[in-house]
Amino acid sequence: MYSKIVRNDMANSKLITCMTTLFVAAAAMLITLSAVLIVHLSGAIDTLMKQAETSHFLQMHSGAIDQARLTEFAEHHDRVDEFQINEFLNVDGAKISIAGTTLAHSVQDNGFSTQSEKFDYLLDLDGHAIEVANGDIYIPVGYLKDGTAKLGDTMMVNNKTFTIAGFLRDSQMNSMLASSKRFLVSEEDYTAIQKAGTIEYLIEFRLKNLSDLKDFEEAYIRAGLEANGPTITFSLFKMLNALSDGLMLAVILLISILVVAIAFMCIRFTLHTKIEEDYREIGVMKAIGIRVVDIQKMYLAKYGVIAVIGCVLGFAFSFLLRDLLLENIRLYMGETDNTSLVWIITIIGLLLVFITVMAYVQSVLKQFRKLSATQAIRFGTTYGKARHANYLNLSSNKMLPINLFLGMKDVLSRKRLYATMLTVLLLATFIIIVPQNLYNTISAKSFITYMGIGNSDIRIDIPQGNQNAQHVAAVVKTLERDTAITDYTVLTTKKFTTIASDGAEESLKIELGDHTIFPVEYALGRVPVAQNEIALSVLNAQELHLKVGDVIPLVINGEKNNLTVSGIYSDITNGGKTAKAAFSDRSAESMWSVVYGTMANPSQVEEKITEYVDTFHFAKVSGINHYINQTFGTTIHSIGKVSIAALVMALLLCVLVTLLFMNMLIAKDQTSIAIMKSVGFTNVDISKQYIARSVFVLLLAIVMGTFLANTLGEFLTSMVIASFGAAAFEFTINPLAAYVFCPLAIISVVLVATLLGTLRAGQLKIMDHIKE
Amino acid sequence: MKKLVSGEQITKSFQVGNEQHHVLTNVSVDLYEGEFVSIMGPSGCGKSTLLYALSGMDSIDRGRVMFDGMDLTSLSDKELADLRRTRMGFVFQQPTFLKSLNILDNILLPAMRDQRKNVVALTETAKNIMKKMGIVDLAKRDITQVSGGQLQRAGICRALISKPQLIFGDEPTGALNSTSAQEIMDLLASINTEGTTVMLVTHDPKIAARTERILFMCDGAIVNEMRLPRFTGAGLEDRMIAITAKMREIGI
Repeated sequence: MYSKIVRNDMANSKLITCMTTLFVAAAAMLITLSAVLIVHLSGAIDTLMKQAETSHFLQMHSGAIDQARLTEFAEHHDRVDEFQINEFLNVDGAKISIAGTTLAHSVQDNGFSTQSEKFDYLLDLDGHAIEVANGDIYIPVGYLKDGTAKLGDTMMVNNKTFTIAGFLRDSQMNSMLASSKRFLVSEEDYTAIQKAGTIEYLIEFRLKNLSDLKDFEEAYIRAGLEANGPTITFSLFKMLNALSDGLMLAVILLISILVVAIAFMCIRFTLHTKIEEDYREIGVMKAIGIRVVDIQKMYLAKYGVIAVIGCVLGFAFSFLLRDLLLENIRLYMGETDNTSLVWIITIIGLLLVFITVMAYVQSVLKQFRKLSATQAIRFGTTYGKARHANYLNLSSNKMLPINLFLGMKDVLSRKRLYATMLTVLLLATFIIIVPQNLYNTISAKSFITYMGIGNSDIRIDIPQGNQNAQHVAAVVKTLERDTAITDYTVLTTKKFTTIASDGAEESLKIELGDHTIFPVEYALGRVPVAQNEIALSVLNAQELHLKVGDVIPLVINGEKNNLTVSGIYSDITNGGKTAKAAFSDRSAESMWSVVYGTMANPSQVEEKITEYVDTFHFAKVSGINHYINQTFGTTIHSIGKVSIAALVMALLLCVLVTLLFMNMLIAKDQTSIAIMKSVGFTNVDISKQYIARSVFVLLLAIVMGTFLANTLGEFLTSMVIASFGAAAFEFTINPLAAYVFCPLAIISVVLVATLLGTLRAGQLKIMDHIKE
Repeated sequence: MKKLVSGEQITKSFQVGNEQHHVLTNVSVDLYEGEFVSIMGPSGCGKSTLLYALSGMDSIDRGRVMFDGMDLTSLSDKELADLRRTRMGFVFQQPTFLKSLNILDNILLPAMRDQRKNVVALTETAKNIMKKMGIVDLAKRDITQVSGGQLQRAGICRALISKPQLIFGDEPTGALNSTSAQEIMDLLASINTEGTTVMLVTHDPKIAARTERILFMCDGAIVNEMRLPRFTGAGLEDRMIAITAKMREIGI
């Protein structure tokens, strides 16, 4: 009998049944997708790092190297499991071309390596360590993704021709945020091109126990071993791998949570409306002696069917979208080992949706017990009962046109009813604005200041060498004379020794110069200005247990000086452990220098870079826009895609929910509409009243949603961003998009949906609804 | 007397399943200015349908309804709405009010659509009418806070707010006890005395006895008609006896 009642009931209320099923499906789909994405990303990163046997500790070093001393250190240190020194042949981008395109403008340090012997393998797209034949070359997968290269292309390195035999995954330098990229060639070819560049050493360790990393790091520093270059640890490799897709994932997660919330609100709303419609029938059933449990069973059976169909549909949809979202993760990191976990999580997610829907229905059905049969038969209503708002009276209204007045009054009189629509539209606004603001923020030039890089037009990297000082002087001289350059600054990184709180000596790389010209974003405090001030990166501050205002002892010129920490900033460059100060120092040897400059006419940056590349053959010249494009490009692109998807989805939700809401409202309001018509209100009047209700709720929702997006949304986003190492984050808002186009888009779709949804109101026959 | 409404050969039917169910068959009726008319007949004879057809609130299949020289069947929805709002008033059997408005606002509703700027004068008018109906103290009350009889008076107030020429009542006393019913009839009679034409549907001879012209309907047609002198307060019993005798005579 239940199946018959359920079938009849569904056939009678097709719209509501369809909508409820769709919302359950949306909730199920998003929950499964998020679960799958999280498992995949974390699983794929783990798998990649396991297959590649990523180094636990990597010290990059350029210059002379004492291999025997390093080997001895590794052999005598009981924490070390494996040790190796790899070479990285750093070749100027101008000497490399892929399929005829030069890499001269690449901001990456492109270099060549041979396959490692013991660990840190370069993997093919199937996850196996690559064995490369003579004349063949494997190139980083990022170049496949951005379209620079395809299989079988020719690549020229200093006049030697290679064939691209495949693409490689590099667990240490995969991410575009890592500044170096390794190309894999055979031993023989490596020797052949060795003269084309300079050798950088990758001093790599794997430990017996990863938790000893901190102690090992200190021991390495204390031993005074080769350290002319960034130090990168296992956790930073992991973070870099997670960063670009993680941000997109975070946005998808946020949207999912909100859409699930919307879905549940709509389920609640349809359920309430349906029950209200059935109220009289329920009363009759009670009155003729049917047990409450049996009535509840009918509803549970119906919603059980809806929930199951919804979950199955959601699961199917998630399958369709899964590959699209996983494309990037698969390409860069491969598959996860945990396919069974993916299934388990998917099933748990679906069960969770099903159980929540049913639990919700059950809780609503509880009120059946309290329902009095006579009341249900006589009055036939439950919630949304009108209580007129006493402060808005027609008799004291001269200002508002009557239809507008009646629309607003209705909203205020039935706040609980309209609260659903308000919340849904508010969340939709939130879903549209937050990803959009995030996209704007990370694609704005200023975003790099959150990542530890000053906001300029041109960046000239002068690597370490005997002639560093002369090279810097040459660059400064040129910039000084160049009228196109409005401002520039030289930042030179030198190594100093500091004494940690436990008395141990630690080395600290400090970038010296004027940091006020192209400042980075400070999470806490401010830029160092005085001679005795220093700013630390978040990672350094954590490691040294220092906060703003603390004093740090530093050995300068053989003397111990006390410097005050003026600020803490986030940084992802050079392994994330950097410091900035303004004091002058002539003692220590400089490691490298960076010159930043701005141009009077930013449109000429490209020309200027080409000019400087020729002038300063010893340096790497790049435009900041290029830098952003190449490092954050994929992330920006994926967030851009997500924000458009969010916009489309939120607008669609607005249409669906408004249609649904208006339909139900009209069903509920049939008597009121008939009364209005009987006293002489035209169809147009009634449409106007519904539009007034919609617009009133909509405006409230947009204002509140925008406010929340810019406060709570910013806070949530900053938490996500903070987990990736950047702190003190503020949205860069495009006012035209956020305050004009988005609201306009929402308003127009909601208006159209209101008009469509209320078409029926005009066709209603007075007679059918006014007579008993 | 001037002819106000004239129904000519009105025919209307409903589709019930595959069957055509005739509600009105070639009904012709005229209504003159200042008349106090009632339509009587058994349940389902089509009296309410005729009332709604004459008011233009319901469409008809064939025939014509003229109101003050205008053919209602040729008017648009908008023109019909305008007519209902400005020249007609309706009183229904069940209270039909907007729950979100208080009594006064519900009464003002039809007039406020066009005369918003005139709200002070309108409120004054509404209160005067309410005073006459004895419900002026209830102006600010919620519609759920007053009795059925009081609501029905409020309904009459709303019907009167735009000073209509014609008031239609569909069993206006149907949901009331006999005392309240007679009070409502007193009010309608006094409105009629002031010049407003009143037409109502009833199945109660005691109510019909208050009117001056009674149309008897049966099976979708007007089968007979009876005229009575203006009721002055005495002889209600005799009028009722005359009506019931007539009904018995024509077999309804």
